[in-house]
Amino acid sequence: MNNKSDILVGIDLAKTYGELAVVKGVSLAIREGEFVSLVGKSGCGKTTLLSILSGLEHPTRGQAFLNGKEITGASEDELALFRRENVGFIFQSFNLIPTLSAWENVALPLFPIQMSEAERRRRATELLDQMELAHRLEHLPAALSGGEKQRVAIARALINHPKIVFADEPTGNLDTATGDAIMAILNGLHRKQGMTILMVTHESELAKTADRVLHMQDGEVLS
Amino acid sequence: MNLRYVFKELTHQKRRTVISVLGLSIGIALFVILNALSLAYHEAARAPLKEVGADITVQRPGNVPQELAGAVFPCSAVTIDEEEIEDIKAIPGIRGMGKAVLLWIFDPNRAWIVLGIEQNNPVGPSILKNFITAGCYLETGKPEVLVETAYARQFGIRLGDHVNVAGRSYPVVGLIDASHASKIAVANLYLPLAEVQSIAAASKNLQSVSPFAGGDANLLFIRADQDRITTVAASVKAILGGKATVATPESFLKLLGSLFALSDKFTLAASIIAMIIAILIAFKTMAGNVAERAREIGVMKAVGWTHRNVTMQLLAESVIQGFAAGLLGLLIAQAAAVALGFMTVNIPIPWEMSPTPHFLPGGGDPLFKTLRLPVHIPWSLAAFALLLSVIIGGLTGALLGRHISKIKPSEVLRHE
Repeated sequence: MNNKSDILVGIDLAKTYGELAVVKGVSLAIREGEFVSLVGKSGCGKTTLLSILSGLEHPTRGQAFLNGKEITGASEDELALFRRENVGFIFQSFNLIPTLSAWENVALPLFPIQMSEAERRRRATELLDQMELAHRLEHLPAALSGGEKQRVAIARALINHPKIVFADEPTGNLDTATGDAIMAILNGLHRKQGMTILMVTHESELAKTADRVLHMQDGEVLS
Repeated sequence: MNLRYVFKELTHQKRRTVISVLGLSIGIALFVILNALSLAYHEAARAPLKEVGADITVQRPGNVPQELAGAVFPCSAVTIDEEEIEDIKAIPGIRGMGKAVLLWIFDPNRAWIVLGIEQNNPVGPSILKNFITAGCYLETGKPEVLVETAYARQFGIRLGDHVNVAGRSYPVVGLIDASHASKIAVANLYLPLAEVQSIAAASKNLQSVSPFAGGDANLLFIRADQDRITTVAASVKAILGGKATVATPESFLKLLGSLFALSDKFTLAASIIAMIIAILIAFKTMAGNVAERAREIGVMKAVGWTHRNVTMQLLAESVIQGFAAGLLGLLIAQAAAVALGFMTVNIPIPWEMSPTPHFLPGGGDPLFKTLRLPVHIPWSLAAFALLLSVIIGGLTGALLGRHISKIKPSEVLRHE
């Protein structure tokens, strides 16, 4: 790692699918407590870069360090365990489990951990309360609005006290007002709790709310 | 593995669960009912012999005298001498043996079918003591006679009367209804064995074609270890010669002619086919279900579930479905067993085992033992089917779980 305060570092990261180079030699560093936006047009490789940096995908070339650990050479199971302890995800389409209630969806990352159900529920309830969803604990995703679903997803991303949250187009499926509310939550997490966030978006206006904006084009980070 | 998640997945995805469980349960039900039917035919085939307290009956065919007068042996049952009887008794696997003497007695005014029985030997026709309708059973050491109820009614014979058989007089001490019993040991008169042996030994007509001494018999009833019946029967044939009529449950089974009765291999093959169908149905429906959940599994892995965590979760779901399918399969099979239990089965009794002379009215008619097919599901079969269902569910879940859990979350979450 180049700097002790860098929580996420990528060095010469590249990803190709056959002949197609999606990410081309990207190097970047994100400091602890920083809110960084990765902005670019659809298909420019930003989601692939986010997948590599979060340990969801292996790069074709280069190295990535997250919280001091090199994740690029780790096995699938090592990465899963690493993500469980260090990473939170927020997806564009929420990706809630349709058969689980709101609090159970929040507790999903805790299911494989030896922990009492009461403790899981307590921690999920606390987070849903912060998201102003205390009255929706037992509701299935189908009974929630888009904004509520995304707030459940944010709570799920926070349940394991992550070092960093990766948000992939978190407002992409929401109307403007609801999207603004979600961004307010993310900004609140960053400002009040010092949460490190890397957010991928194609909306420049949203990107500007971050501490730093990285522009991506044709698989390369420009700034 | 999280049981709450397992339960929620199975109850909220009712269509998926019902199709999986129903598919597997039909296969299990088929497996159980095929085996129950096979067992039922085997049990039915035991009935004719069971009703004379035996697993095997033995007789030896021979000749009938030119002149049918006095005491003669039926051509299907001539002398088995005392030495042969002792040799048979020594065959390993025999748990008990009874002997009897069956005679046709042609008196000047009447023809009798007479059976000499060992009154107190639990193996053999003494089991008929359960069918006494009036009077009492034969007392040991007394020259008494039991008369078959229908015969007594036809010829006006009553309790306390005396009947004259081969020049000897016997008091009628009881009436016996043998109509519910097997057709094998049915006679008009039942006398103590020693009396009938004495009548046979004294019959010149009988001795002329089949020498008979006091300790001989012409019918043997054998109770044997269930798993050694076939070998015991073969040993008996070896002692008496190939022409001896040795009836076993297996020989009755062959007479039944049903596919289930004819061959254990058929049942095995049909069961295997049923199970293969069940496995394919379970695999196809569960594979479809798991494929539908690829995205969900991608999310699970993204938030930190390992390959093993995912596999165990899917395994738990499929084991529970397998258990439910097993229970449902048993219920379906039980319902089918009850319905099939109303079927009757006619077990043909070979002519040589019929005591009625073929030249008397009804003597040439084919004989059948008719009974309800005793279809029931033994606990061992039910437990095996349930275990099989759980194993099929488990293996299916484990295979699919292993396959799907290798999915890369980035691949299924990529569309964003």
